Amino acid sequence: MHILGIESSCDETAIALVEQTQGTFRVLKSALTSQVDLHALYGGVVPEVAAREHASHIFPLLESLGILPDGSEVDVIAVTAGPGLVPALRIGVELGKTLAYLWNKPIVAVNHLEGHMYSVWLQEPVSLFPALSLLVSGGHTELILMKDHGVYELVGMTRDDAAGEAFDKVAKLVGLSYPGGPAVSKASLRGNSKAIDFPRPMLESDDYDVSFSGLKTAVRMYVESHPNFSVEDVCASFQEAVVETLVIKTLKAVLAHAPKSVILSGGVSANRSLRERLHDQLAITFPDITFHAPELSVSGDNAVMIAIAAAFHANKKEYANPLTLEADPNMRLVVGEVAK
Amino acid sequence: MTIESTSIEQTKHVAADFAKQLNGGDVVFLEGDLGSGKTTFVQEVMEAFGYKEPVRSPTFSIMNRYKIDHPSIETVIHLDFYRFEDPSEIRSLGLDELYGHRTIVFIEWPSKGETLLSVFGKSHHVVFQQLPNNHHQIIFS
Repeated sequence: MHILGIESSCDETAIALVEQTQGTFRVLKSALTSQVDLHALYGGVVPEVAAREHASHIFPLLESLGILPDGSEVDVIAVTAGPGLVPALRIGVELGKTLAYLWNKPIVAVNHLEGHMYSVWLQEPVSLFPALSLLVSGGHTELILMKDHGVYELVGMTRDDAAGEAFDKVAKLVGLSYPGGPAVSKASLRGNSKAIDFPRPMLESDDYDVSFSGLKTAVRMYVESHPNFSVEDVCASFQEAVVETLVIKTLKAVLAHAPKSVILSGGVSANRSLRERLHDQLAITFPDITFHAPELSVSGDNAVMIAIAAAFHANKKEYANPLTLEADPNMRLVVGEVAK
Repeated sequence: MTIESTSIEQTKHVAADFAKQLNGGDVVFLEGDLGSGKTTFVQEVMEAFGYKEPVRSPTFSIMNRYKIDHPSIETVIHLDFYRFEDPSEIRSLGLDELYGHRTIVFIEWPSKGETLLSVFGKSHHVVFQQLPNNHHQIIFS
């Protein structure tokens, strides 16, 4: 089965053609505005690749992939229907609907968060359920129990700032440049993670929620009151506070929900300290649980993961109506119990 | 009006009092450094409106929208222009479709974007400053 994935939920416009053969997936074609020089491709006709100018980017992107205009190489269309920014989502949704209608192919409406969870399937299928997913990105920090394909339960989340956002803002506070996350992570390598005891808010709370806004404020206050602060030590100590919080909460959720697999996903899954610590702690405490993290190329926002998520809905013929499908900025994951 | 708050509880009271002054069509500009309490203030105003769901930072989502149960306000839009590089980015939001007499808008980092909203109601400016020993200064105008 060939799935054409379309993603435009916030900053990124992405399109990908993915092949599913039995349980495994292969990327045939993929393009994202963050990685393609559209301006050069179109010799100045396309405006500069400004953030969230999805309407200007989406057709040049589609054309750059060389997808046959008769739709003959596509079996299913997959589009992020939400959550996200309405005007952004709409561009992808309308493109998907139009193609589905013209090509007479089925369309699957995919939840962006679900897409992130499925990003790990590119490398290796997750076969043991339930799977507990720690989804960490610039805009999201959630612990989601995937009971089975398409059946979820929200276990915990951030009360304020997402982990990726915290990294971004701390980078700004210590004077590192964009993108903040990788810059902080790199600086941490040369810093002492025990140099400053930053607060770990909500660590002791009875639930599986986290909070990073207090930590951000603590970093700012430290930087302001220590004019000769060490960027490396602040970064390492901050990163340690975030990683420790996320790992402890995840392990707590594992203890309570007994998943057979753990999935780390979202852009912050690229953070080596988080990835390694979570993997190692699971290996020590729960050696029978399989751990999955995405390849770097599909850890951020992308259309490959959307296509993969859609494949599982397509297998069950869970399609949307191309005439009535609408973008849903507050789209929720399907909560439910596994059918017996 | 300048208020110096010495505790989280006090800031909650300040936010609750401020919530009582808000009506549909109002726009609230929130300014202050990173970590000065802008989003927390919005959370506290929403709590005062009786909104029970989480109100999270809109830095990456750009815009969050909530429906509330209130005599003159139906929708709350919470915007954050922190990630805007250019004021023209505000055009991509389609705000004129979303904003109206029964909507209030909170805007964090408003200086990073142009204000293309024609104001139906009042505009409020709230400036946050963190003082030593964890006190906050909140200036309303």
